[in-house]
Amino acid sequence: MSKPKLAIFDFTCCEGCQLQIVNLEEEILNLISLVNPVEWREAMSEHIGNYDIALIEGSITRPEDEEKLRRIRKRAKILVALGSCASTGGVNKLKNNFDLQEVKHCVYGQAADMPHLHTAPTKAIDEVVQVDYKIYGCPIDRREFAYIVRCLALGKSPEIPDYPVCVECKLQENICRYEYDEICLGPVTRAGCGARCPSCATWCFGCRGHIEEPNLSAAKEIMVRYGKTFQDLKNRMNIFGSKQRYADE
Amino acid sequence: MSIKKLDQAALDTWVNKLIANQSVYGVQAKGERFAFGPLSKAEDLRLDYDVTILPPKKYFQPQREDLLEFNAKGEYTSVTETEPFILFGVHPYDVVAIAQMDTIFSADNYDVHYMTRRHNATIVACDVQNASANVFAGCMNTATVTKGFDLLLTKIGEFYLAEAKTPKGEKLLTDLPGGLEPGNLDLARREQVWKDNTGLLRKHKLKCNPQELPGLLEKSYYAPVWEAKAKLCFSCGSCNLVCPTCYCFDVQDDVNWDLQSGKRTRAWDGCLLKDFAAVAGGHNFRSSRTDRYRHRFYRKAKYVAEKLNQIACVGCGRCISACVPKIANPVEVFNELL
Ligand code: SF4
Ligand code: SF4
Repeated sequence: MSKPKLAIFDFTCCEGCQLQIVNLEEEILNLISLVNPVEWREAMSEHIGNYDIALIEGSITRPEDEEKLRRIRKRAKILVALGSCASTGGVNKLKNNFDLQEVKHCVYGQAADMPHLHTAPTKAIDEVVQVDYKIYGCPIDRREFAYIVRCLALGKSPEIPDYPVCVECKLQENICRYEYDEICLGPVTRAGCGARCPSCATWCFGCRGHIEEPNLSAAKEIMVRYGKTFQDLKNRMNIFGSKQRYADE
Repeated sequence: MSIKKLDQAALDTWVNKLIANQSVYGVQAKGERFAFGPLSKAEDLRLDYDVTILPPKKYFQPQREDLLEFNAKGEYTSVTETEPFILFGVHPYDVVAIAQMDTIFSADNYDVHYMTRRHNATIVACDVQNASANVFAGCMNTATVTKGFDLLLTKIGEFYLAEAKTPKGEKLLTDLPGGLEPGNLDLARREQVWKDNTGLLRKHKLKCNPQELPGLLEKSYYAPVWEAKAKLCFSCGSCNLVCPTCYCFDVQDDVNWDLQSGKRTRAWDGCLLKDFAAVAGGHNFRSSRTDRYRHRFYRKAKYVAEKLNQIACVGCGRCISACVPKIANPVEVFNELL
Protein backbone atom coordinates (compact mmCIF):
# COMPACT_ATOMS: atom_id res chain seq x y z
CA MET A 1 0.00 0.00 0.00
CA SER A 2 1.49 3.34 -0.99
CA LYS A 3 1.35 6.07 1.60
CA PRO A 4 -1.45 8.64 1.21
CA LYS A 5 -0.18 12.01 -0.02
CA LEU A 6 -0.90 14.75 2.49
CA ALA A 7 -0.76 18.49 1.78
CA ILE A 8 -1.24 21.37 4.18
CA PHE A 9 -2.28 24.86 3.07
CA ASP A 10 -2.81 27.95 5.12
CA PHE A 11 -5.03 30.95 4.58
CA THR A 12 -5.87 33.70 7.06
CA CYS A 13 -4.69 32.50 10.46
CA CYS A 14 -1.82 32.56 12.91
CA GLU A 15 -0.51 29.14 11.76
CA GLY A 16 -0.75 27.95 15.34
CA CYS A 17 -2.56 24.77 14.29
CA GLN A 18 0.32 23.79 12.00
CA LEU A 19 2.61 24.52 14.89
CA GLN A 20 0.63 22.01 16.94
CA ILE A 21 1.44 19.40 14.29
CA VAL A 22 5.13 20.25 14.51
CA ASN A 23 4.71 20.03 18.29
CA LEU A 24 3.83 16.35 17.95
CA GLU A 25 7.63 16.03 18.36
CA GLU A 26 8.65 12.32 18.31
CA GLU A 27 5.19 11.38 17.12
CA ILE A 28 5.74 13.40 13.96
CA LEU A 29 7.99 10.56 12.79
CA ASN A 30 5.05 8.19 13.18
CA LEU A 31 2.94 10.62 11.18
CA ILE A 32 5.48 10.69 8.40
CA SER A 33 5.73 6.91 8.41
CA LEU A 34 2.01 6.85 7.68
CA VAL A 35 1.53 9.69 5.20
CA ASN A 36 3.67 11.30 2.59
CA PRO A 37 3.73 15.09 3.07
CA VAL A 38 3.84 16.69 -0.37
CA GLU A 39 3.12 20.31 0.30
CA TRP A 40 3.67 21.94 3.66
CA ARG A 41 5.15 25.37 3.76
CA GLU A 42 5.84 25.37 7.46
CA ALA A 43 7.90 22.17 7.35
CA MET A 44 9.21 21.71 3.81
CA SER A 45 9.35 23.48 0.46
CA GLU A 46 8.77 20.99 -2.42
CA HIS A 47 5.53 21.34 -4.45
CA ILE A 48 3.84 18.33 -6.11
CA GLY A 49 0.50 17.53 -7.92
CA ASN A 50 -2.53 15.71 -6.40
CA TYR A 51 -3.30 14.93 -2.77
CA ASP A 52 -5.13 12.16 -0.99
CA ILE A 53 -5.67 14.40 2.01
CA ALA A 54 -5.56 18.21 1.98
CA LEU A 55 -5.55 19.97 5.33
CA ILE A 56 -6.70 23.58 5.13
CA GLU A 57 -5.76 25.96 7.89
CA GLY A 58 -7.17 29.48 8.18
CA SER A 59 -10.27 31.23 6.93
CA ILE A 60 -10.99 32.86 3.59
CA THR A 61 -10.83 36.65 3.64
CA ARG A 62 -9.98 37.62 0.04
CA PRO A 63 -11.72 36.71 -3.23
CA GLU A 64 -8.45 35.46 -4.74
CA ASP A 65 -8.13 32.97 -1.88
CA GLU A 66 -11.51 31.49 -2.81
CA GLU A 67 -10.06 30.70 -6.22
CA LYS A 68 -6.98 29.10 -4.74
CA LEU A 69 -9.13 27.01 -2.38
CA ARG A 70 -11.31 25.78 -5.25
CA ARG A 71 -8.18 24.65 -7.09
CA ILE A 72 -7.03 22.72 -4.01
CA ARG A 73 -10.45 21.11 -3.66
CA LYS A 74 -10.23 19.86 -7.25
CA ARG A 75 -6.89 18.21 -6.55
CA ALA A 76 -7.81 16.68 -3.18
CA LYS A 77 -9.59 13.40 -2.51
CA ILE A 78 -10.33 14.28 1.12
CA LEU A 79 -10.40 17.88 2.29
CA VAL A 80 -10.11 18.61 6.01
CA ALA A 81 -10.59 21.98 7.70
CA LEU A 82 -7.88 22.38 10.30
CA GLY A 83 -8.62 24.50 13.36
CA SER A 84 -11.19 27.12 14.29
CA CYS A 85 -10.44 29.65 11.53
CA ALA A 86 -10.96 27.00 8.87
CA SER A 87 -13.84 25.08 10.41
CA THR A 88 -16.02 27.91 11.76
CA GLY A 89 -14.32 31.16 10.74
CA GLY A 90 -13.13 31.58 14.30
CA VAL A 91 -11.84 34.90 15.62
CA ASN A 92 -11.48 36.18 12.05
CA LYS A 93 -15.25 36.49 11.88
CA LEU A 94 -15.21 39.27 14.47
CA LYS A 95 -14.53 41.46 11.47
CA ASN A 96 -17.93 40.63 9.98
CA ASN A 97 -19.63 42.48 12.83
CA PHE A 98 -18.37 45.82 11.43
CA ASP A 99 -18.31 47.86 8.26
CA LEU A 100 -15.38 46.62 6.13
CA GLN A 101 -14.09 50.10 5.35
CA GLU A 102 -14.05 50.95 9.03
CA VAL A 103 -12.20 47.72 9.84
CA LYS A 104 -9.53 48.38 7.23
CA HIS A 105 -8.93 51.90 8.45
CA CYS A 106 -8.76 50.76 12.04
CA VAL A 107 -6.10 48.15 11.20
CA TYR A 108 -4.07 49.76 8.43
CA GLY A 109 -4.65 53.49 8.97
CA GLN A 110 -3.64 55.58 5.97
CA ALA A 111 -2.48 52.54 3.97
CA ALA A 112 -5.99 51.01 4.13
CA ASP A 113 -6.78 51.60 0.47
CA MET A 114 -3.59 50.07 -0.94
CA PRO A 115 -4.58 47.29 -3.39
CA HIS A 116 -2.70 44.51 -1.60
CA LEU A 117 -4.70 45.19 1.56
CA HIS A 118 -7.96 44.40 -0.12
CA THR A 119 -10.24 42.37 2.16
CA ALA A 120 -13.68 40.72 2.07
CA PRO A 121 -16.00 39.36 4.78
CA THR A 122 -14.50 36.28 6.46
CA LYS A 123 -15.70 32.85 5.38
CA ALA A 124 -15.14 29.42 6.91
CA ILE A 125 -13.80 26.84 4.45
CA ASP A 126 -17.18 25.13 4.02
CA GLU A 127 -18.71 28.42 2.90
CA VAL A 128 -16.55 28.14 -0.23
CA VAL A 129 -16.00 24.43 -0.93
CA GLN A 130 -17.27 21.11 0.33
CA VAL A 131 -15.42 19.98 3.46
CA ASP A 132 -15.16 16.28 4.39
CA TYR A 133 -13.98 16.60 7.97
CA LYS A 134 -13.40 19.37 10.47
CA ILE A 135 -10.73 19.36 13.14
CA TYR A 136 -11.93 21.94 15.62
CA GLY A 137 -10.12 24.08 18.16
CA CYS A 138 -7.92 27.14 18.58
CA PRO A 139 -5.45 25.63 18.40
CA ILE A 140 -6.28 22.03 17.46
CA ASP A 141 -5.70 19.28 19.98
CA ARG A 142 -2.62 17.27 18.97
CA ARG A 143 -3.97 13.94 20.18
CA GLU A 144 -7.22 14.44 18.33
CA PHE A 145 -5.34 15.43 15.19
CA ALA A 146 -3.19 12.29 15.38
CA TYR A 147 -6.28 10.13 15.91
CA ILE A 148 -8.07 11.67 12.94
CA VAL A 149 -5.06 11.17 10.64
CA ARG A 150 -4.84 7.51 11.69
CA CYS A 151 -8.55 7.05 10.95
CA LEU A 152 -8.22 8.65 7.51
CA ALA A 153 -5.16 6.54 6.69
CA LEU A 154 -7.20 3.48 7.63
CA GLY A 155 -10.15 4.66 5.54
CA LYS A 156 -12.48 4.95 8.53
CA SER A 157 -14.53 7.99 9.66
CA PRO A 158 -13.21 9.51 12.86
CA GLU A 159 -15.60 9.99 15.79
CA ILE A 160 -15.67 13.72 16.39
CA PRO A 161 -17.58 14.72 19.53
CA ASP A 162 -20.91 16.45 19.11
CA TYR A 163 -21.58 16.94 22.80
CA PRO A 164 -20.85 19.96 25.00
CA VAL A 165 -17.64 20.69 26.89
CA CYS A 166 -19.59 20.04 30.14
CA VAL A 167 -19.06 16.33 29.49
CA GLU A 168 -15.29 16.65 29.64
CA CYS A 169 -15.47 18.97 32.65
CA LYS A 170 -17.48 16.35 34.51
CA LEU A 171 -15.05 13.58 33.55
CA GLN A 172 -12.23 15.65 35.01
CA GLU A 173 -14.22 16.48 38.10
CA ASN A 174 -13.85 20.22 37.53
CA ILE A 175 -15.90 22.65 39.56
CA CYS A 176 -18.42 24.26 37.22
CA ARG A 177 -17.50 27.85 36.24
CA TYR A 178 -21.11 28.89 36.88
CA GLU A 179 -20.41 28.18 40.56
CA TYR A 180 -17.79 30.92 40.33
CA ASP A 181 -20.35 33.34 38.96
CA GLU A 182 -18.82 33.23 35.48
CA ILE A 183 -20.54 32.83 32.12
CA CYS A 184 -18.98 29.74 30.55
CA LEU A 185 -19.74 28.76 26.95
CA GLY A 186 -19.18 25.08 27.71
CA PRO A 187 -22.87 24.06 27.61
CA VAL A 188 -23.22 25.08 23.93
CA THR A 189 -19.64 24.40 22.75
CA ARG A 190 -18.35 21.27 21.08
CA ALA A 191 -16.08 19.15 23.28
CA GLY A 192 -12.91 17.35 22.22
CA CYS A 193 -10.40 19.67 23.88
CA GLY A 194 -10.59 17.79 27.19
CA ALA A 195 -12.19 20.91 28.76
CA ARG A 196 -8.83 22.59 28.51
CA CYS A 197 -9.83 26.08 29.68
CA PRO A 198 -12.13 25.14 32.58
CA SER A 199 -9.46 22.67 33.75
CA CYS A 200 -7.11 25.67 33.99
CA ALA A 201 -9.68 27.55 36.04
CA THR A 202 -11.21 29.76 33.39
CA TRP A 203 -14.48 29.77 31.43
CA CYS A 204 -14.82 28.12 28.03
CA PHE A 205 -14.30 30.63 25.19
CA GLY A 206 -16.17 28.44 22.72
CA CYS A 207 -13.23 28.03 20.33
CA ARG A 208 -14.49 24.75 18.88
CA GLY A 209 -17.76 26.33 17.82
CA HIS A 210 -21.29 25.32 18.69
CA ILE A 211 -22.44 21.73 18.88
CA GLU A 212 -24.89 20.80 16.08
CA GLU A 213 -27.97 21.55 18.20
CA PRO A 214 -26.95 24.16 20.77
CA ASN A 215 -29.75 25.25 23.10
CA LEU A 216 -29.06 28.95 22.70
CA SER A 217 -32.47 30.02 23.92
CA ALA A 218 -31.73 28.20 27.19
CA ALA A 219 -28.32 29.88 27.38
CA LYS A 220 -30.11 33.20 27.00
CA GLU A 221 -32.86 32.39 29.47
CA ILE A 222 -30.59 31.24 32.29
CA MET A 223 -28.62 34.49 32.28
CA VAL A 224 -31.26 36.08 34.53
CA ARG A 225 -30.93 33.19 36.97
CA TYR A 226 -27.22 33.86 37.27
CA GLY A 227 -27.63 37.64 37.59
CA LYS A 228 -26.30 38.31 34.09
CA THR A 229 -27.77 39.80 30.95
CA PHE A 230 -28.18 38.62 27.37
CA GLN A 231 -25.64 41.26 26.37
CA ASP A 232 -23.07 39.71 28.76
CA LEU A 233 -23.59 36.39 27.01
CA LYS A 234 -23.32 37.93 23.54
CA ASN A 235 -20.09 39.66 24.44
CA ARG A 236 -18.59 36.32 25.39
CA MET A 237 -19.85 34.64 22.25
CA ASN A 238 -18.48 37.34 19.95
CA ILE A 239 -14.88 36.18 20.27
CA PHE A 240 -15.24 32.82 18.57
CA GLY A 241 -18.93 32.79 17.80
CA SER A 242 -19.42 35.85 15.60
CA LYS A 243 -21.65 35.10 12.63
CA GLN A 244 -21.59 31.44 13.49
CA ARG A 245 -24.64 29.44 12.61
CA TYR A 246 -27.43 30.47 15.07
CA ALA A 247 -25.22 33.32 16.38
CA ASP A 248 -27.83 36.00 15.86
CA GLU A 249 -30.76 34.20 17.47
CA MET B 1 -17.28 -8.65 63.96
CA SER B 2 -15.54 -6.16 66.17
CA ILE B 3 -16.30 -2.55 66.89
CA LYS B 4 -13.75 -0.05 68.17
CA LYS B 5 -13.78 3.49 69.51
CA LEU B 6 -10.99 5.82 68.48
CA ASP B 7 -10.06 9.48 68.76
CA GLN B 8 -8.79 11.67 65.91
CA ALA B 9 -5.11 10.95 66.74
CA ALA B 10 -5.69 7.19 66.62
CA LEU B 11 -7.63 7.58 63.37
CA ASP B 12 -4.74 9.51 61.80
CA THR B 13 -2.14 6.97 62.89
CA TRP B 14 -4.33 4.17 61.59
CA VAL B 15 -4.95 5.85 58.20
CA ASN B 16 -1.22 6.55 57.76
CA LYS B 17 -0.51 2.91 58.50
CA LEU B 18 -3.03 1.81 55.89
CA ILE B 19 -1.49 4.21 53.34
CA ALA B 20 1.93 2.68 53.99
CA ASN B 21 0.59 -0.77 53.08
CA GLN B 22 -1.62 -0.19 50.05
CA SER B 23 -3.30 2.37 47.78
CA VAL B 24 -5.89 4.40 49.64
CA TYR B 25 -8.35 6.73 47.89
CA GLY B 26 -10.00 9.16 50.25
CA VAL B 27 -12.11 12.30 50.20
CA GLN B 28 -10.13 15.54 50.02
CA ALA B 29 -10.89 19.21 49.46
CA LYS B 30 -10.97 20.40 45.85
CA GLY B 31 -11.35 24.18 45.91
CA GLU B 32 -14.60 24.79 47.75
CA ARG B 33 -15.81 21.28 46.96
CA PHE B 34 -14.69 17.71 47.64
CA ALA B 35 -13.43 14.81 45.56
CA PHE B 36 -12.11 11.28 46.03
CA GLY B 37 -8.42 11.10 45.17
CA PRO B 38 -5.25 9.18 46.01
CA LEU B 39 -4.54 9.83 49.68
CA SER B 40 -0.93 10.48 50.66
CA LYS B 41 -1.39 11.44 54.31
CA ALA B 42 -4.09 11.28 56.96
CA GLU B 43 -4.36 15.07 57.40
CA ASP B 44 -5.67 15.42 53.86
CA LEU B 45 -8.63 13.18 54.59
CA ARG B 46 -11.88 15.17 54.99
CA LEU B 47 -14.45 12.91 56.59
CA ASP B 48 -16.49 16.05 57.34
CA TYR B 49 -17.22 16.48 53.59
CA ASP B 50 -20.77 17.06 52.39
CA VAL B 51 -20.69 15.37 48.98
CA THR B 52 -18.01 14.67 46.34
CA ILE B 53 -18.26 16.14 42.84
CA LEU B 54 -18.10 12.68 41.26
CA PRO B 55 -19.26 9.55 43.03
CA PRO B 56 -16.76 6.79 43.88
CA LYS B 57 -17.97 4.78 40.87
CA LYS B 58 -14.92 6.18 39.06
CA TYR B 59 -12.79 3.59 40.89
CA PHE B 60 -14.83 0.68 39.54
CA GLN B 61 -15.80 2.07 36.17
CA PRO B 62 -13.19 4.73 35.33
CA GLN B 63 -14.13 7.68 33.12
CA ARG B 64 -12.11 6.06 30.34
CA GLU B 65 -10.55 2.61 30.44
CA ASP B 66 -8.85 0.16 28.10
CA LEU B 67 -10.85 -3.02 27.59
CA LEU B 68 -8.60 -4.96 25.27
CA GLU B 69 -5.69 -4.83 22.87
CA PHE B 70 -6.08 -6.30 19.40
CA ASN B 71 -4.13 -6.81 16.21
CA ALA B 72 -4.92 -7.20 12.53
CA LYS B 73 -4.56 -10.99 12.77
CA GLY B 74 -7.68 -11.04 14.91
CA GLU B 75 -5.90 -11.77 18.18
CA TYR B 76 -6.84 -9.89 21.32
CA THR B 77 -6.10 -9.80 25.03
CA SER B 78 -8.30 -8.31 27.75
CA VAL B 79 -6.81 -5.64 29.94
CA THR B 80 -7.69 -5.88 33.62
CA GLU B 81 -6.25 -4.13 36.63
CA THR B 82 -5.32 -6.14 39.67
CA GLU B 83 -4.09 -3.86 42.45
CA PRO B 84 -6.01 -4.00 45.75
CA PHE B 85 -7.12 -0.64 47.17
CA ILE B 86 -9.09 0.97 49.98
CA LEU B 87 -11.85 3.45 49.28
CA PHE B 88 -12.03 5.59 52.39
CA GLY B 89 -15.00 7.64 53.52
CA VAL B 90 -17.88 6.51 51.28
CA HIS B 91 -21.23 7.99 52.34
CA PRO B 92 -24.18 5.62 52.86
CA TYR B 93 -26.08 6.74 49.72
CA ASP B 94 -22.99 5.95 47.64
CA VAL B 95 -22.65 2.57 49.36
CA VAL B 96 -26.20 1.78 48.25
CA ALA B 97 -25.36 2.94 44.71
CA ILE B 98 -22.25 0.73 44.56
CA ALA B 99 -24.28 -2.28 45.69
CA GLN B 100 -26.74 -1.56 42.88
CA MET B 101 -23.90 -1.26 40.33
CA ASP B 102 -22.52 -4.59 41.57
CA THR B 103 -25.80 -6.25 40.61
CA ILE B 104 -25.92 -4.50 37.23
CA PHE B 105 -22.34 -5.43 36.32
CA SER B 106 -22.54 -9.04 37.50
CA ALA B 107 -26.08 -10.28 36.86
CA ASP B 108 -26.79 -10.57 33.13
CA ASN B 109 -23.34 -10.06 31.67
CA TYR B 110 -20.52 -10.51 34.12
CA ASP B 111 -18.28 -7.48 33.52
CA VAL B 112 -14.79 -8.65 34.31
CA HIS B 113 -13.31 -5.13 34.24
CA TYR B 114 -15.74 -3.73 36.80
CA MET B 115 -15.83 -6.85 38.95
CA THR B 116 -12.04 -7.23 39.13
CA ARG B 117 -11.73 -3.74 40.54
CA ARG B 118 -14.69 -4.33 42.80
CA HIS B 119 -13.14 -7.46 44.30
CA ASN B 120 -9.91 -5.57 44.85
CA ALA B 121 -11.65 -2.84 46.82
CA THR B 122 -12.14 -2.54 50.54
CA ILE B 123 -14.87 -0.03 51.28
CA VAL B 124 -14.67 2.08 54.40
CA ALA B 125 -18.03 3.79 54.70
CA CYS B 126 -18.57 6.89 56.79
CA ASP B 127 -21.81 8.31 58.11
CA VAL B 128 -22.56 11.83 56.89
CA GLN B 129 -21.35 14.63 59.18
CA ASN B 130 -22.52 17.58 57.11
CA ALA B 131 -25.49 17.50 54.79
CA SER B 132 -24.91 18.87 51.28
CA ALA B 133 -27.18 21.56 49.82
CA ASN B 134 -29.25 19.18 47.69
CA VAL B 135 -29.13 15.79 49.38
CA PHE B 136 -32.43 13.93 49.82
CA ALA B 137 -31.11 10.51 50.86
CA GLY B 138 -33.46 10.65 53.86
CA CYS B 139 -36.40 10.38 51.43
CA MET B 140 -34.83 7.47 49.53
CA ASN B 141 -34.00 5.28 52.56
CA THR B 142 -30.29 5.70 51.88
CA ALA B 143 -29.26 8.09 54.68
CA THR B 144 -27.83 5.14 56.64
CA VAL B 145 -26.69 1.66 55.65
CA THR B 146 -26.36 -1.73 57.24
CA LYS B 147 -24.59 -3.58 54.41
CA GLY B 148 -22.55 -3.06 51.24
CA PHE B 149 -19.36 -1.95 53.02
CA ASP B 150 -16.45 -3.62 54.82
CA LEU B 151 -16.18 -1.16 57.66
CA LEU B 152 -18.34 1.71 58.88
CA LEU B 153 -17.10 4.84 60.63
CA THR B 154 -19.49 7.03 62.59
CA LYS B 155 -18.47 10.24 64.30
CA ILE B 156 -19.88 10.56 67.84
CA GLY B 157 -18.72 13.80 69.43
CA GLU B 158 -14.90 13.79 69.58
CA PHE B 159 -14.65 10.09 68.79
CA TYR B 160 -15.28 7.72 65.92
CA LEU B 161 -16.82 4.29 66.12
CA ALA B 162 -15.39 1.83 63.62
CA GLU B 163 -17.40 -1.33 63.03
CA ALA B 164 -16.16 -4.14 60.82
CA LYS B 165 -18.81 -5.78 58.68
CA THR B 166 -16.74 -8.27 56.69
CA PRO B 167 -13.45 -10.17 57.13
CA LYS B 168 -11.80 -7.51 54.93
CA GLY B 169 -12.98 -4.82 57.34
CA GLU B 170 -11.92 -6.90 60.32
CA LYS B 171 -8.46 -7.14 58.81
CA LEU B 172 -8.21 -3.34 58.59
CA LEU B 173 -9.07 -3.11 62.28
CA THR B 174 -6.08 -5.30 63.17
CA ASP B 175 -3.91 -2.38 62.04
CA LEU B 176 -5.69 -0.03 64.43
CA PRO B 177 -3.41 1.07 67.26
CA GLY B 178 -4.95 1.64 70.67
CA GLY B 179 -8.62 1.31 69.76
CA LEU B 180 -10.94 1.39 72.80
CA GLU B 181 -13.95 -0.81 73.48
CA PRO B 182 -17.13 1.25 73.04
CA GLY B 183 -19.67 1.35 75.86
CA ASN B 184 -23.47 1.24 75.62
CA LEU B 185 -23.62 5.02 75.73
CA ASP B 186 -21.37 5.23 72.64
CA LEU B 187 -23.60 2.79 70.78
CA ALA B 188 -26.66 4.79 71.77
CA ARG B 189 -25.03 7.96 70.44
CA ARG B 190 -24.40 6.20 67.15
CA GLU B 191 -28.06 5.18 66.97
CA GLN B 192 -28.90 8.85 67.48
CA VAL B 193 -26.62 9.91 64.57
CA TRP B 194 -28.46 7.48 62.29
CA LYS B 195 -31.82 8.76 63.45
CA ASP B 196 -30.76 12.40 63.00
CA ASN B 197 -29.28 11.81 59.55
CA THR B 198 -32.47 10.24 58.28
CA GLY B 199 -34.17 13.52 59.14
CA LEU B 200 -31.35 15.89 58.18
CA LEU B 201 -30.60 14.52 54.72
CA ARG B 202 -33.85 15.80 53.28
CA LYS B 203 -33.04 19.11 51.63
CA HIS B 204 -35.76 18.30 49.12
CA LYS B 205 -38.86 16.48 50.28
CA LEU B 206 -40.35 13.75 48.15
CA LYS B 207 -44.09 13.79 48.75
CA CYS B 208 -44.58 10.07 48.19
CA ASN B 209 -42.99 6.82 49.14
CA PRO B 210 -40.18 5.86 46.69
CA GLN B 211 -41.95 2.52 46.11
CA GLU B 212 -44.83 4.41 44.51
CA LEU B 213 -42.61 5.95 41.83
CA PRO B 214 -42.83 3.20 39.17
CA GLY B 215 -46.63 3.37 39.35
CA LEU B 216 -46.54 7.16 39.19
CA LEU B 217 -44.40 7.09 36.05
CA GLU B 218 -46.63 4.42 34.50
CA LYS B 219 -49.32 7.07 34.07
CA SER B 220 -47.11 10.11 33.42
CA TYR B 221 -45.55 9.49 30.01
CA TYR B 222 -47.42 12.38 28.39
CA ALA B 223 -47.28 14.77 31.35
CA PRO B 224 -46.49 18.40 30.42
CA VAL B 225 -43.55 18.56 32.83
CA TRP B 226 -41.18 16.76 30.43
CA GLU B 227 -41.39 19.28 27.66
CA ALA B 228 -41.63 22.26 29.98
CA LYS B 229 -38.36 21.35 31.72
CA ALA B 230 -36.57 20.00 28.63
CA LYS B 231 -36.92 23.42 26.96
CA LEU B 232 -34.06 24.59 29.14
CA CYS B 233 -31.97 21.44 28.78
CA PHE B 234 -28.51 21.79 27.21
CA SER B 235 -28.28 18.02 26.51
CA CYS B 236 -24.98 18.25 28.36
CA GLY B 237 -25.28 14.92 30.16
CA SER B 238 -23.97 16.37 33.43
CA CYS B 239 -26.90 14.85 35.33
CA ASN B 240 -25.88 11.40 34.04
CA LEU B 241 -22.17 11.77 34.50
CA VAL B 242 -22.25 12.82 38.16
CA CYS B 243 -24.82 10.18 39.08
CA PRO B 244 -23.67 7.20 41.17
CA THR B 245 -26.23 4.91 39.54
CA CYS B 246 -25.68 5.91 35.90
CA TYR B 247 -23.30 3.48 34.27
CA CYS B 248 -23.79 3.69 30.49
CA PHE B 249 -20.66 3.72 28.37
CA ASP B 250 -19.53 4.12 24.79
CA VAL B 251 -16.98 1.75 23.22
CA GLN B 252 -14.44 2.97 20.66
CA ASP B 253 -11.47 1.43 18.86
CA ASP B 254 -8.28 3.30 18.09
CA VAL B 255 -5.37 1.95 16.10
CA ASN B 256 -1.68 2.47 16.70
CA TRP B 257 0.50 4.24 14.14
CA ASP B 258 1.39 0.88 12.54
CA LEU B 259 -2.31 0.46 11.63
CA GLN B 260 -1.81 -3.22 12.56
CA SER B 261 -2.61 -3.12 16.26
CA GLY B 262 -4.77 -1.07 18.53
CA LYS B 263 -6.93 -0.95 21.59
CA ARG B 264 -10.57 -0.84 22.51
CA THR B 265 -11.58 1.65 25.18
CA ARG B 266 -14.80 2.56 26.87
CA ALA B 267 -15.78 5.92 28.27
CA TRP B 268 -18.74 7.25 30.26
CA ASP B 269 -21.75 8.10 28.15
CA GLY B 270 -25.12 9.57 29.09
CA CYS B 271 -28.68 9.18 27.81
CA LEU B 272 -29.14 12.97 27.84
CA LEU B 273 -26.50 13.39 25.11
CA LYS B 274 -27.87 13.90 21.61
CA ASP B 275 -26.08 10.96 19.97
CA PHE B 276 -26.60 8.47 22.79
CA ALA B 277 -29.37 6.61 20.99
CA ALA B 278 -28.06 7.22 17.46
CA VAL B 279 -27.46 4.02 15.51
CA ALA B 280 -25.93 2.99 12.19
CA GLY B 281 -27.72 4.53 9.26
CA GLY B 282 -28.25 7.81 11.08
CA HIS B 283 -31.44 6.95 12.97
CA ASN B 284 -31.79 8.29 16.49
CA PHE B 285 -34.26 6.61 18.84
CA ARG B 286 -34.48 9.70 21.05
CA SER B 287 -33.79 12.62 18.82
CA SER B 288 -35.78 15.19 20.79
CA ARG B 289 -34.57 16.85 23.97
CA THR B 290 -37.87 16.02 25.66
CA ASP B 291 -37.50 12.29 24.90
CA ARG B 292 -34.01 12.27 26.33
CA TYR B 293 -34.90 14.35 29.35
CA ARG B 294 -37.86 12.09 30.19
CA HIS B 295 -35.88 8.91 29.63
CA ARG B 296 -33.55 9.55 32.56
CA PHE B 297 -36.44 9.67 35.03
CA TYR B 298 -38.03 6.54 33.58
CA ARG B 299 -34.73 4.78 33.79
CA LYS B 300 -34.24 5.84 37.42
CA ALA B 301 -37.68 5.15 38.76
CA LYS B 302 -39.32 2.65 36.42
CA TYR B 303 -37.14 0.57 34.06
CA VAL B 304 -34.26 -0.24 36.42
CA ALA B 305 -36.60 -0.07 39.40
CA GLU B 306 -38.86 -2.80 38.01
CA LYS B 307 -35.93 -4.99 37.02
CA LEU B 308 -34.01 -4.78 40.29
CA ASN B 309 -36.81 -3.86 42.64
CA GLN B 310 -34.73 -0.83 43.71
CA ILE B 311 -35.10 2.79 42.66
CA ALA B 312 -32.02 3.82 40.66
CA CYS B 313 -31.74 7.10 42.54
CA VAL B 314 -30.11 7.23 45.95
CA GLY B 315 -30.84 10.90 46.63
CA CYS B 316 -27.26 12.17 46.58
CA GLY B 317 -28.43 15.41 44.94
CA ARG B 318 -25.39 15.63 42.63
CA CYS B 319 -27.52 16.03 39.49
CA ILE B 320 -29.33 18.96 41.10
CA SER B 321 -26.05 20.79 41.75
CA ALA B 322 -24.49 19.90 38.39
CA CYS B 323 -27.35 21.07 36.18
CA VAL B 324 -26.61 24.64 35.04
CA PRO B 325 -30.24 25.50 34.12
CA LYS B 326 -31.44 23.83 37.35
CA ILE B 327 -33.98 21.46 35.84
CA ALA B 328 -32.56 18.08 36.87
CA ASN B 329 -34.02 17.80 40.40
CA PRO B 330 -35.77 14.40 40.60
CA VAL B 331 -37.79 15.39 43.67
CA GLU B 332 -39.17 18.45 41.92
CA VAL B 333 -40.17 16.38 38.90
CA PHE B 334 -41.74 13.54 40.88
CA ASN B 335 -43.64 15.92 43.15
CA GLU B 336 -44.96 17.72 40.11
CA LEU B 337 -46.30 14.45 38.73
CA LEU B 338 -48.12 13.56 41.95
S1 SF4 C 1 -30.55 10.90 39.98
FE1 SF4 C 1 -29.49 12.67 40.91
S2 SF4 C 1 -29.98 12.52 43.10
FE2 SF4 C 1 -30.49 10.54 42.18
S3 SF4 C 1 -28.64 9.30 42.49
FE3 SF4 C 1 -28.45 10.24 40.45
S4 SF4 C 1 -27.31 12.16 40.79
FE4 SF4 C 1 -28.02 11.44 42.80
S1 SF4 D 1 -27.57 18.49 33.57
FE1 SF4 D 1 -29.44 19.68 33.17
S2 SF4 D 1 -29.03 20.71 31.21
FE2 SF4 D 1 -27.51 19.06 31.37
S3 SF4 D 1 -28.48 17.32 30.31
FE3 SF4 D 1 -29.02 17.12 32.50
S4 SF4 D 1 -31.02 18.16 32.66
FE4 SF4 D 1 -30.13 18.81 30.70
